[in-house]
Amino acid sequence: MQVASTCLPSDSINAISSKMSNQINHTELCQWLTAVAQKRDKQAFTHLFNFFAPKIQRIAIAKVNTDTKASEVVQETMSNVWRKAHLFDGNKGAATTWVYTIMRNVTFDMLRKVKSNKEDTLSDDIWPLAEAENIQESDYDDHLASKNLRSVINKLPENQQQVIKAYYFMEMSQEQLAVHLNLPLGTIKSRLRLALGKLKVQLGESHD
Amino acid sequence: MIKHHPKFELLQSFVNGELPASLSAGITIHTDMCPACQQIVTQLTEQLSYASFEEDSFDEFTVNKPNTVVNTEVSVEAIDDFNFEQMIASITDSNDIDIIEPKVEKNITFKKKVYALPPVLNNMVLGKTANIGKLARARIQLDEDEIHTSLLHIEPGGSVPEHTHKGFELTVLVEGTFSDEKGDYVAGDFIMLDKQHQHHPVSEKGCLCFTVANDSLHFTQGINKLLNPIGAFIY
Repeated sequence: MQVASTCLPSDSINAISSKMSNQINHTELCQWLTAVAQKRDKQAFTHLFNFFAPKIQRIAIAKVNTDTKASEVVQETMSNVWRKAHLFDGNKGAATTWVYTIMRNVTFDMLRKVKSNKEDTLSDDIWPLAEAENIQESDYDDHLASKNLRSVINKLPENQQQVIKAYYFMEMSQEQLAVHLNLPLGTIKSRLRLALGKLKVQLGESHD
Repeated sequence: MIKHHPKFELLQSFVNGELPASLSAGITIHTDMCPACQQIVTQLTEQLSYASFEEDSFDEFTVNKPNTVVNTEVSVEAIDDFNFEQMIASITDSNDIDIIEPKVEKNITFKKKVYALPPVLNNMVLGKTANIGKLARARIQLDEDEIHTSLLHIEPGGSVPEHTHKGFELTVLVEGTFSDEKGDYVAGDFIMLDKQHQHHPVSEKGCLCFTVANDSLHFTQGINKLLNPIGAFIY
């Protein structure tokens, strides 16, 4: 049934709305994703899940052949939606396109694992979900230094890694981080301080 | 200017996630340099996602994929409510968020000449470089059976001996230029050849290519399934 579209946003998404289906309430999907990103809103996630999961299951089963594998695609795709919602940018495209990209990537890596027995994750290089800032790795020494830094960061406790990476690599503010992680600002500040202290010790030691 | 592009059907299979990693990477290298094909890919992705998530669109969606039509009626009830709730609970239980790490720009050196590695190859494993005269080849270890993927470097004045292909051969020119009987090629050109093509590429000024070829006699057996979606579109 074609329902006249009254809920499409009038702003940026409008440019591509002519190609959109009237059957999908894109504004609502967008709002749910934003709620998940900003408030870790479980109710909004449940709405997203109810909309996408059955469809993902049906699409996946044609590609991966078994119910179990298809459920894995659902689980993995929706986990990604939960963990990456903050990367969604409604100005760059529809929520459906974003979720489709995640689903296609998850399926691709899973099929590759089955066919080539490879555990690599190449899909995010082939179809990047978000444009990350480029950093130059032209100098061989710099390459080693940045590798070293990364390996030191990766040895930090999980919760400290998270704030360090978000604060320095993604340039999120401490306030944004507090909202994303649903933690008090003070906790973010103290985790950053702890992590930096450890990094100084580690890098100082290995730089002699 | 880039003159050689992937066929539309190949781009469709790419967006659908149906191509092997080797060919997918070749298309990404091309679209990174070709705004026109990039735009087609963006549009196809949009269209496919709307089609995928429309309420009553499954019949439409599968029209292009006759081999899967049989499966369209499969268990909608495969996930029951109980599983749904459990899955939602286990997913939302975690407070972690994924951080996108900055893209690292890597280099690769052939005969003392430094090239920027196409970013799509960042996480692929490169084998040792084999040198044959003015040619140098580094295998990219993707483990796709008969499909072999490599970076091929031609020094200035070098050439690849005349050859034909038992299967297909894709060449994406990453940097530099080369020519063959059919003309000149520039960075970004996406050149797909099959056994009907004989060619003899010569690079006057040197170049770096990303190549994918399947030379296997067992083409119809092992890899056939994987290539099925594109079989008809490789000219």
